[in-house]
Amino acid sequence: MGQVDLSTPLKGLDKGKAGEKLIKFWQELTAFGKVGLVILLFMIILAVGAPYFTWLPHDTSSGPPLVPPGGEHLMGTDELGVDLWSQISFGARVSLLVGLGTALLAGLGGGILGIWGGYKGGLAERILMRVIDIMIVMPDLPVMVILAAFFGSSLTNIIMVLALFSWSHPARIVRSQVMALKEQGYVQMAKSYGAGDFYIIFRHLLPELIPILAVSMVRLSGMAIVTEAGLSFLGLGDPTSRSWGLIINHALNFSGIYFTPFWKWWLLYPWLFLTLLITGLALFGRDLERIADPRILKGRY
Amino acid sequence: MGFLKVQDLGVTYISGDQKVRALDKVSFSLKEGETLGIIGESGSGKTTLALALMGLIGKKDLVEGKGYFQGKEFLSLREQEKAKIRWKDMAMVFQNSLEVLNPVLNIREQVAEPLIKHLNLKGEELKGRVEELLQLVGLDISWKEAYPHQLSGGMRQRVLLAMALSCKPQLLLVDEPTTSLDPVSRKEILDLLERLQEEYGFTMVLISHDLSCIARLTSHLLVLYNGRVVEEGKTPDILEESFHPYTRGLINSSPNFFAYRDLWGIPGEGAWGEVEGCSFNPRCSQTLASCRERIPQLEEVAPGRQVACHRGGIVTLLQAKDLGKEYPLKKKVISAVKGVSLRVREGEVVGLVGETGSGKSTVAQILGRLIKPTGGEVTFQGEAFNGKVTRREGGIQIIMQDPFSSTSHRLTVEQVIREPLEINRIGTRQEREERVREALKGVQLPWDPAFLGRFTFELSGGQRQRVAIARALVMRPALLLADEITSMLDPSTQANLLRLLKGLQNARGFAMLFITHDMDLARKVADRILVMHQGEVVEEGSSHRIFTAPCCCHTKSLLEAAFGHHHH
Repeated sequence: MGQVDLSTPLKGLDKGKAGEKLIKFWQELTAFGKVGLVILLFMIILAVGAPYFTWLPHDTSSGPPLVPPGGEHLMGTDELGVDLWSQISFGARVSLLVGLGTALLAGLGGGILGIWGGYKGGLAERILMRVIDIMIVMPDLPVMVILAAFFGSSLTNIIMVLALFSWSHPARIVRSQVMALKEQGYVQMAKSYGAGDFYIIFRHLLPELIPILAVSMVRLSGMAIVTEAGLSFLGLGDPTSRSWGLIINHALNFSGIYFTPFWKWWLLYPWLFLTLLITGLALFGRDLERIADPRILKGRY
Repeated sequence: MGFLKVQDLGVTYISGDQKVRALDKVSFSLKEGETLGIIGESGSGKTTLALALMGLIGKKDLVEGKGYFQGKEFLSLREQEKAKIRWKDMAMVFQNSLEVLNPVLNIREQVAEPLIKHLNLKGEELKGRVEELLQLVGLDISWKEAYPHQLSGGMRQRVLLAMALSCKPQLLLVDEPTTSLDPVSRKEILDLLERLQEEYGFTMVLISHDLSCIARLTSHLLVLYNGRVVEEGKTPDILEESFHPYTRGLINSSPNFFAYRDLWGIPGEGAWGEVEGCSFNPRCSQTLASCRERIPQLEEVAPGRQVACHRGGIVTLLQAKDLGKEYPLKKKVISAVKGVSLRVREGEVVGLVGETGSGKSTVAQILGRLIKPTGGEVTFQGEAFNGKVTRREGGIQIIMQDPFSSTSHRLTVEQVIREPLEINRIGTRQEREERVREALKGVQLPWDPAFLGRFTFELSGGQRQRVAIARALVMRPALLLADEITSMLDPSTQANLLRLLKGLQNARGFAMLFITHDMDLARKVADRILVMHQGEVVEEGSSHRIFTAPCCCHTKSLLEAAFGHHHH
């Protein structure tokens, strides 16, 4: 249909209204959701501002090895004398990058595939469903291990592999949602007025899909972060990336760490941050899911 | 040559410099013993026609054309010769009012007057004849000394009838015999007219607003508008299916013809004097440019039916032939719609009724191009049916049952209504905004910016359905498909919405296919009814016919279920 005036839905997003909406959104969240969001924001600030929050290098030795927390080394050092606080701060970047990258890639890719399958229906939809079935029955971890081993373990590769194994979830929910929306009267009416596919997708389908996609992406990022940590822990992570999983991997490779007091910082702090991030994501995701439910949304916004 | 034949009768009233053309080229013929009905709004020339036949048009005024009575030309006769025919051969029952009768003469003297004047009766003979006449019209003789103002309307009507019948005329002109009579007297007068005609065998010209009286007494019908005949034919045919939009309007505005239907007058005022071209065009729903240029001539459109319309009468807007819709289900094939043929004419409301699952909505969806039929053919406005009909102005628009599904809850009122214009790029931005406001005004919703910016989920079901109607109206459809549009609303909202929609339909003149399972609603709204059962149309006809005399047993059982045993 060429040019269609899509500018109007954005009208509402001028400054005052956007602020209002954010406040409203914050009020929608439960206490748990608020905690989750605060944790997330903290992690993002930590990752972005890592150079400002740390005073020691994160990749080279800056003191004696295995120093317990305190003094200059806020969280102690590892066996090479590298500052753990610096490592964790910079490691947050890796974790968030993996989470965000995977979520975006899988969410967008899965979303597009889901819209395509659901909207076209027929053969396209059947093909999509069969591929999704295959993805579901495939055991992800062993295949991921093989792929990571095969393609080498750069961060990009890990994100790609993770995305490859997680797009089916958003694709499935988007597809079923699109199939339901397609039958809605207003979509049929728009079609009878001669609306093109792009118009219908952008004007009528996407506004409904974005909330559920967002929920799905929050979940995916949590899963991706854990999986990346898992792969790193198994020694299949990017050895140069210095992710939290890799710190844990190094710590556990230190033979007899539990017989020493070193685990109290070397293992505990990265584990704590990882758990905190995952918990934050889960809490926030759970709330987002509740809000994104169209029936609740309908009454409020 | 018939008993009465009128050719190109024209009457122009002249007062000073002003000329008013009251009748223009009226022609008709009548066989002996027949009854011709003449209908039309006030001022359409009905009474002028009767007066012209009686030779009672003023001397200053102009009468043209020819009239043959029993083969002899009589319109051009001199006054004296006319007077001989008057009362003796043709008599007129004037419209009932006090002024018609001489207030200083009593009933006996009134009735005796023509007897003395035309038959030279005297004494006992005269007295006997007067009493005979009074008895004949069912008036007690004791009233003969009474004065006109002492009589009731029904009695006065009887006196007028007695006077007209005094000289045993062969042609009786009756002007509005039942106006201002109560139902009992009205029925008595009609019975009387019928009986007298049987006894005396006179030929009758009946002028009336009362369509049930026309339906009962007349065999032929002449429809007058602004002094011209716009439709002519057999009475039952015209009442079952009128060809001229004006005739249809008259039928729709008659409460006594089919009492259940809602009353809707013809929009606009009657034409006064000269109108360029077809005099009905300012009020017509199917006007073309050519309608303003020439006066349409009466033309035969069906055997015995003549219509004066440039478009050959009410135009068929949509014609569907043998529509079918089959759904494959496992190994079986389900036929939702089987061989449905239907026709919707310009500006009419067709009710598509039937129980749930009878295929009504499927037909609506096919016609609204939401689904494709598996068989059959549709033409719209004489052209092949394609996707464009729902995308252009003056096409087809559908209103769905569920307003919560048919309007997106994520859009504002303005965005919803503007959508069809936007998708089809009709008009500039300002024009679109103007049309949205216009449509909202039409459906009686606010049109201020605050309301335009509201999201549809903030509206009630009735408001949201009106927004959906506004979206359909913004495309100015020629045919509106209303698919069970009130079934989800409460009775009060339903009543308001239906009156609103019917009012819009009446004022804007679009045609409507009204789909419902609610027989009461169909009876209120529809001009014609199609009854569907198990995917097929089992009966079709004018709504007064279907609801009063259904043929098909399925229709009967539907009506029985809807209206119980009281109906018939």
